[in-house]
Amino acid sequence: MNTVSQINKKRDWREWQTYQAITPKTILFLFFAFVLLAWSGHNTEMDRAAVETSKAVLSAVGIGDSNVLNGVSKFGRQAFPIQFSARTELSRLEGVDLQHLPWFSYVEEGVSREYDVDTDSWTEEKAEYLVEPIGYLKKVLWMMWETIEMGFWGTMISIIISLPLGILAARNYSPHPIVYQIARGWLSFHRSMPELIVALFLVLIYGFGPIAGVLALAIHTSGVLGKFFADEIENAPKGPQMALSSAGANSLKVLRYAVFPHVLPAWIAYIQYIFERNIRTATVLGIVGAGGIGMELKGRWDLFDYDHVATILLIIFITVVVLEFFSQKLRNKTL
Amino acid sequence: MLIFDHVSRIYPDGTQAVKDVSVQLKQGEFCVLLGPSGAGKSTLMNMVNGLVEPTSGKIILDGELLTKKNLQMIQRSVSMIHQQLYLVPRLSVLHNVLTGILPLAGFWRSMVKSFPIKDQRRAYELLSEVGLKEKHLMRRASELSGGQQQRVAIARAFMASPKLVLADEPVASLDPTMSRSVLNSLKTAAQTNGATVLCTLHQMDYALEFADRIIALRDGEVFFDGPPSAMDADVQRRLYEIEHDNLEKQQAEPVEKPTRPLLVDIKEAVA
Repeated sequence: MNTVSQINKKRDWREWQTYQAITPKTILFLFFAFVLLAWSGHNTEMDRAAVETSKAVLSAVGIGDSNVLNGVSKFGRQAFPIQFSARTELSRLEGVDLQHLPWFSYVEEGVSREYDVDTDSWTEEKAEYLVEPIGYLKKVLWMMWETIEMGFWGTMISIIISLPLGILAARNYSPHPIVYQIARGWLSFHRSMPELIVALFLVLIYGFGPIAGVLALAIHTSGVLGKFFADEIENAPKGPQMALSSAGANSLKVLRYAVFPHVLPAWIAYIQYIFERNIRTATVLGIVGAGGIGMELKGRWDLFDYDHVATILLIIFITVVVLEFFSQKLRNKTL
Repeated sequence: MLIFDHVSRIYPDGTQAVKDVSVQLKQGEFCVLLGPSGAGKSTLMNMVNGLVEPTSGKIILDGELLTKKNLQMIQRSVSMIHQQLYLVPRLSVLHNVLTGILPLAGFWRSMVKSFPIKDQRRAYELLSEVGLKEKHLMRRASELSGGQQQRVAIARAFMASPKLVLADEPVASLDPTMSRSVLNSLKTAAQTNGATVLCTLHQMDYALEFADRIIALRDGEVFFDGPPSAMDADVQRRLYEIEHDNLEKQQAEPVEKPTRPLLVDIKEAVA
């Protein structure tokens, strides 16, 4: 009797190997995982974060003192009440008809302080101010709308870029393996460029304003969308495609009739997600001067106008929530 | 009109699926391929469609030898009804049927789903022939029942006015009543459109009921060829016997995977 046949011989069930959930290997693995986590956590100051946060919590209930909590309360004191009104010096405005002021606005007397560089002193002067109770809110809302438009156009351009690239990057519809590799590489290149950094460059090229923001969004998200599109095409069921192509239809027709109907709901879901994400990102892009509400946020932040900052943050928050609500509704409809 | 001339097919793994089959189909014949699974029915069928290439022998359709070069032209006069149908689930019934003439449709018109009225009328005619109603037209294929989907597939197959329709187990997943009515639709459609049908089945009684001619295959060879009336009880019994044998043979085959010997085993083996 040879060895192999003896090894393969059927053994009685009592001799079958038992399954062990935790072995020395598991414990060794867990130990090294823990060491790695501890090292990496220390690098990223996770230990200090834990300490500071616990201190803040303790301080909040009246035990000890915490820098973190002090920082929060300092911001909070200055941010509230949040600022909805706009206050502008009358002398800086042109063509204001004092008899016919805009709705609900009124003129207030106050003191205008000006800094004189030569004498290094403040001069004070009596001045009149036009106060519009919801003037600032209107301004922020308008900027938010601009931000949403930026997100929209960013998504549009990204679809225009990613649709052909996505088809070329689908293995089964790419005309040639080289084209496939190029398209995939191109998409990963787009994906690998963060919006903020692209926006920095584009602000240099196009100047301050939404152009840089829109293009930055389009470049980054076209990489993401294109990959989604391509993967979705590759994973479409093969049967209907085979049925149409074996009847003699060319690959574009097969794509149109057997693939698009199937992938469309998923594509729409991806596009919706990208649109939502683009609006959220567009709020930040203004920080590098690429248009949208972020520019105002950055400006107010640098002036320590935390009450204005609070208004902006509130509007962003409300917008994101409302957006999520509507996109959820839309999603339920399309799927 | 369809001639298999000493056709054989050996798969790369050495299985001889079809052995020296010579059959000649006549115009307008409703021909049923019978036989146990693994008898070579699907291979024979896929060879006509160009999905499988014969290792040796010739296939002649309407006087034209099937080669790689004229495959695409021949594909246009051959339609296939697949076992899993392969309708596009999210496409409407009408457009599923219209995909039957997709190869002939103009490129830009087809990209925007615009088909000539003439083609739409043809689709309506076919759909009503197989027993579907106007209310079904704009429903998605996935919303229909199995039998209705099968009818849509039949209508799609006849859309391009094919000379030959290949049907691979068209009623495999339907209940007996539905199967009968679907096969009836298939036969009627074939008669009104003057198409030859080559249809695989595994239910003997349907074959006897609907076929003009039965070709039974066994291990890749023609076992019986003739009208249903010639298929007497003895032939049927022998075919079933074979099926039974085959099943046992399949089950008896050992399906052991090579496993890595455990240390314990080696110790045992050494001792």
